[in-house]
Amino acid sequence: MKLVDILEPGRIVHRLTATTKSAALRELVQRGVVPPEANTELGVADEEQIVRVLEERERLGSTGIKDGLAIPHGKLERLDQIVACLGLAPQGIDFGALDGQPSRIFIVLLAPESAGGLHLKALARISRVFSDSSLHKRLLDAPDVDTVWSTITTEDQRY
Amino acid sequence: MPEAPRLVALALVTVGALMAISALTSRLTGRLGVPLLLVFLVIGMVAGSDGAGIDFENFELAFQLGTLALVLILFDGGLNTAARDFRAGLKPAAALATVGVIGTAAVVSLAAWLLGMDGHHAALLGAIVSSTDAAAVFSVLRGSGIQLRKRVGITLELESGLNDPMAVLLTVAFTQVLLGSRELSAWLALEVLGELAIGGVGGALVGYGGRALLLRAKLAAGGLYPVLTLALAMIAYGLPTLLHGSGFLAVYVAAVIIGNSKALPYRAGLLRVHDAAAWVSQVGMFLVLGLLVTPLRLLDVAPLGVVIALVLAFIARPAAVALSVLPFGYGGKELLYLAWVGLRGAVPIILATYPVMAGEAGAVETFHLVFVIVVVNAIIPGSTIRWVTDRLGLRSAEPPPPAAVLEVTSTEQLTGKVLAFHVDKASAACGVAIRELPFPPETTVMLIVRAGAMVAPRGDVTLTPDDHLYVVTTTTDEPLVRLIFGQQEEM
Repeated sequence: MKLVDILEPGRIVHRLTATTKSAALRELVQRGVVPPEANTELGVADEEQIVRVLEERERLGSTGIKDGLAIPHGKLERLDQIVACLGLAPQGIDFGALDGQPSRIFIVLLAPESAGGLHLKALARISRVFSDSSLHKRLLDAPDVDTVWSTITTEDQRY
Repeated sequence: MPEAPRLVALALVTVGALMAISALTSRLTGRLGVPLLLVFLVIGMVAGSDGAGIDFENFELAFQLGTLALVLILFDGGLNTAARDFRAGLKPAAALATVGVIGTAAVVSLAAWLLGMDGHHAALLGAIVSSTDAAAVFSVLRGSGIQLRKRVGITLELESGLNDPMAVLLTVAFTQVLLGSRELSAWLALEVLGELAIGGVGGALVGYGGRALLLRAKLAAGGLYPVLTLALAMIAYGLPTLLHGSGFLAVYVAAVIIGNSKALPYRAGLLRVHDAAAWVSQVGMFLVLGLLVTPLRLLDVAPLGVVIALVLAFIARPAAVALSVLPFGYGGKELLYLAWVGLRGAVPIILATYPVMAGEAGAVETFHLVFVIVVVNAIIPGSTIRWVTDRLGLRSAEPPPPAAVLEVTSTEQLTGKVLAFHVDKASAACGVAIRELPFPPETTVMLIVRAGAMVAPRGDVTLTPDDHLYVVTTTTDEPLVRLIFGQQEEM
């Protein structure tokens, strides 16, 4: 599975403005998961349910894993395929990460209820691709969404 | 039977019976929401001079036992504090433990003075009740099944571990002022800083020294390792105290350093011994303090004590929290919670024995006043903690207790670790077959416990809600494993 299969430029939020964890989750959903410009089977009406699903997973333990990377994720019954969005917050947001560091790169992953195996593969893929800290720097320094997208497509081909 | 063995036997039966009753009634706290310390204190009081007739008036012995108990409780708390949590919560907790303690002491002193106490006694009272209690906070936050959101819980626990030194120093200083053996001056502030510095450095030295010793020492039997850690706890308190440093701070710091050693021999066993030692300390300490009090004398000071306890809960603690942690960016609900959960416990009662031992006039009355304040504090806010946690939405998901505890015992330094998880339906792994788990080569599931049965983790076994999973992994792979399963269990 490649990242470009589940992510698209319309789902990249170049600068998150939220300062708290719950506001960040909502902003990611509003601007990255259900924005009108994204090619999506999800709509504004799904916003509340998606936020709730992500919050339920966060209650089990933060998805802020390490080095400023957070991967909030969850399952949605009415989805047919995996959907991802990317958000960047160079200022850092306290996401309760495992290493205690503020999170700066957020990748939201939503999977169909029946696609557990694919969901896990996508999590592993993201965690592998984003294990390179120089990629974090390039993404956070990228001046616009197009540069972010081209950086990701290049990186995606390396693995 | 000769007299001496008979007395020993009688003492053992009495102590055994009191401890057994305390342990058995601990379940009440879960059902009624009453803090444990209150149950143990009441049992001690009922057994005491105005109740079943055990006449115990030895303030000095109570002080010694109390100090030992606090050392063991703080050491256990420190052993279970992750280094990253310590670093994350250190600044706000340190502010609460210094500025917060002084603020609380000032407001309580002012209230006591306004209520008719003379200035010096009011200041002493303020100092005695100014610190939150590690035993009370640890038992409410860890022992009652409340899983607080991490940041708030860590701040409260660290604060309770760090703020005793300040209260001890203030109490000793004000007692000396009352006895006329010292003058109040700006030197006190410097003295406090010096004692904290010696305590911090001394604790770090014992911690790192102890860590190295535990790694290298090859002891004759596994059971000797807890002997060594208990010894380290006592040395960590004693050495800095002899050098005019804060022993309580040193114990806590040393325990955090030892507990975060990557290769602590017999880790699970050691932690269990210290957990038990902390519980025995809690039960014993509160029983002794309950025995020490004369219930009829409590009635004389009850009205004043209740008013001061309410001032402490509703004015002093909130003011102290506002003063010390506002700059640290807590949310409104978190601030409200910190302001409410300032639990007092054994520390103030033990501190109140100090002026009695020093022979200060009126100290026995102060002791009983402090006792009333602590008991009221155990009810307000103590018994409301669970309710308030839920109302403010600060409870995090609560995993059921682990189904089993697996321990890999070795005196060698092994790489890798075993983690336990509870499978929740919100976890990405729920409903997935073992063979679909995208684990790196060094990671694998070693056991599933499902509805009381051990299930072999074959590839075709599908994970279901409420499974308990045991995974062997490496430090490198741990973030991915935790991302996949989510809810880690304590082992």
